[in-house]
Amino acid sequence: MKKIGLFYSFNSHKTAKLAERIKEEFKDTSFEALNAENVNEKQFLTFDNLILGVPTWFDGELPNYWDEFGPAIEDMDLKGKYIALFGLGDQVGYPENFLDAVGIMAELLESRGAVIVGLTSTQGYSFESSKAVRDNKFLGLAIDFENQAHLNKERVQQWASQLRKEFI
Amino acid sequence: MYNDKLYSIKKTDKETLRKWYHLLTLGRALDDRAPNYLRQAIGWSYHAPYAGHDGIQLAIGQVFDRNTDHLFPYYRDMLTTLSAGLTAEEIILNGISKATDVAGGGRHMSNHLAKPEWNIHNVSSSTGSHTLHAAGVGRAMKKYHHQGVSISSQGESSVSEGYVYEAINGASKEELPVIFVFQDNGYGISVPKKDQTANRKVADNFIGFKNLKIFHCNGKDVFDSMTTMVEAKQWVIENQMPAIVQANCVRMHSHSNSDRHELYRDDYERGYAAEYDPLAKYRRLLLRYNRFTEEELKQIDDQVKQEVKDAHKKALAAPNPDPTSIFDFVIPDPYVSVKYPEGIHNEQGEPKKLIEALNETLKAEFRHNPDTFIWGQDMANKDKGGIFNVSKGMQKEFGIERVFNAPIAEDFILGTANGMTRFNDKIRVVVEGAEFADYFWPAMEQFVLSTHDYWRTNGKFAPNVTIRLASGGYIGGGLYHSQTIEASLTSLPGVRIVYPSFADDAAGLLRTSIRSKGLTLFLEPKALYNASEAMTAIPDDFEVPFGKARIRREGSDLSIITYGNTTHMCLEVAKKLNEEEDVDIEVVDIRSLVPLDKETILESIKKTNRALIVHEDKVFSGFGAEIAATIANEAFEYLDAPIKRVGSTFTPVGFNRILEAAILPNTEKILAAAREILTY
Repeated sequence: MKKIGLFYSFNSHKTAKLAERIKEEFKDTSFEALNAENVNEKQFLTFDNLILGVPTWFDGELPNYWDEFGPAIEDMDLKGKYIALFGLGDQVGYPENFLDAVGIMAELLESRGAVIVGLTSTQGYSFESSKAVRDNKFLGLAIDFENQAHLNKERVQQWASQLRKEFI
Repeated sequence: MYNDKLYSIKKTDKETLRKWYHLLTLGRALDDRAPNYLRQAIGWSYHAPYAGHDGIQLAIGQVFDRNTDHLFPYYRDMLTTLSAGLTAEEIILNGISKATDVAGGGRHMSNHLAKPEWNIHNVSSSTGSHTLHAAGVGRAMKKYHHQGVSISSQGESSVSEGYVYEAINGASKEELPVIFVFQDNGYGISVPKKDQTANRKVADNFIGFKNLKIFHCNGKDVFDSMTTMVEAKQWVIENQMPAIVQANCVRMHSHSNSDRHELYRDDYERGYAAEYDPLAKYRRLLLRYNRFTEEELKQIDDQVKQEVKDAHKKALAAPNPDPTSIFDFVIPDPYVSVKYPEGIHNEQGEPKKLIEALNETLKAEFRHNPDTFIWGQDMANKDKGGIFNVSKGMQKEFGIERVFNAPIAEDFILGTANGMTRFNDKIRVVVEGAEFADYFWPAMEQFVLSTHDYWRTNGKFAPNVTIRLASGGYIGGGLYHSQTIEASLTSLPGVRIVYPSFADDAAGLLRTSIRSKGLTLFLEPKALYNASEAMTAIPDDFEVPFGKARIRREGSDLSIITYGNTTHMCLEVAKKLNEEEDVDIEVVDIRSLVPLDKETILESIKKTNRALIVHEDKVFSGFGAEIAATIANEAFEYLDAPIKRVGSTFTPVGFNRILEAAILPNTEKILAAAREILTY
């Protein structure tokens, strides 16, 4: 498996906590964590396997740092890139926009040729709508700290195993 | 997703980016500086910071075209108005309430920015009440085939107000070119939006409305907001239908300087809000994508600092409002009758009923002025013309474009009338304010605001509206079909209130009302519509000026001052006492309550030395109290007897005729009071 680039906001709280769990799962592999708040095109394109931490902000928006990187992504050629997304949302407090940012990001990356990997089942979640759902699957790992924190560890472990098979 | 939008960081031209950065930086400098004026006791005691709404406010101002559009900003729209063309100096003049404040000369609360001559309207603080005005302007645009849009800007919590629903429902039904922009920052002062409505995006409450397109955008993002507002305006003009733009914003600070958000938002939330500073984001984008260098941006920052400094200096030196000006612009000067300066005539023709007088005058005025409109409930459907058929035949003659039904929404009826007359000064609107005066109360919100408009704008706008209300009892109508409500309304400066009791005065006052600028409440004693005692001959062109009482019977022993239904009872009492007791009673029909003809009343008292005031409304706190106080203040030395008042008991009006008779004034009660005064 090629080297994995893990991009997330180092200044975040819950996203960073999740990222630590993910790091733990991949500690035996070639792996590099980078701060999404300072990401540039060169860093991003270094990797063929990427994991992005994409929490949903407000009522279904990308966080600033990804939104501001969006215009750059739109000019990239991402063919041959395998990208996994993990998102955070609150399915009870914000059921209308659960994990929307993952859906927005996935669409953007796919439009540039990337392959989105690490899709997960929507079973076990309850929400009204989500841009991250396609064919009854999330376009990444869905984490709900507010309501299902006790499932985080198991969900990350299963996802990491899945990514080991889907990354190149 | 980014580059395919109308505006993006990569493809928007540099001059435009520079203009936006200048506006965003200047706006924020003023927004951040505003609290200093309060700290230094200079002014700006109300300031609702807009920080966090930067994208959508820039966009609203940029799409607004003062030559074609109308804009209704709310109290948080500082950047909106700056982006629409107001200068930094004009913003500060408003903030510190100077006489040269272009919104209203320091009369309205600070942070209520406007420039009426540019169609940036001066609106009240009642959140979202201007949605009705925006719909009214939209109606005028449609009727006059005008290419433009009416933009109502407001916070998302305002959508909880019933009148906002009425406005959007009306715009949808009438397919009006209105954009309702909801700036959603998640809070109504401290009330989170989950306590306002079930949908987190309140625009989605309107998904079921026909003829309405809903746009969503990130109100914190300049490019998304600009693209959405341009697309929304284009869609509204092309389709001639309304749109809602729901702009997701964030409130970076407290609601206003009287609010402390740390009492209800934790550190995490406040930090999160501050992190998404739209201006900081826009600046980062300009640098990240190499559209500007730090040096170039610094140059603009420095320019803004100097601009704010200069504006501050000029604004501080501007004159304060003159306290002697407080009586200016309470209500516009009325139409002046040259032929009937006293509102009296010598016509000897065939007597007409009061209802005929109203109907014929309405029609004559509609023929006289093509810019007249009338609407209300039950206004026009085949042979029906108004609840009492006062407007019968009007739709047939003047068409559905000028004479039409309104939904059962009294605030909408009046609010859109106010709005429509903002389109141009030629327009005159007559509304049946409610089916009966008893149902006018939902319109009180718009009524009160409409009485403020002329004063609040320092004479720049007055709603040219005549509100007709079928009023009063003596019909066995009970609590909700018999009220006369003038006493609750005469305490509001900014509206003329008339209450005729004869057919000729009804015709003359209605003509003057429709021809005058400003707001007139025209109360119709519905029991007299077809009453023979109210029938008179009427000159075709009769006019009655406001504030001119009419002596309906001359006398020297007692003055009875009255109006409306009771005028006829007073005349009957005067006749009876003359025939039976050789007493000469003078009956003064005031016709206008506001303005009041004090001169005629006082002259009568000086002649008779006795005063009886009679009206249908309750004695307690009735309008007669004002007349009695005026006489006591200004003619005490002429009085030979105490002033008496006759009116309704301090109860609602009962339905059973026995109850109604016990409650309302009648000739027996007036007779008894007159006799009592005459004993002195």
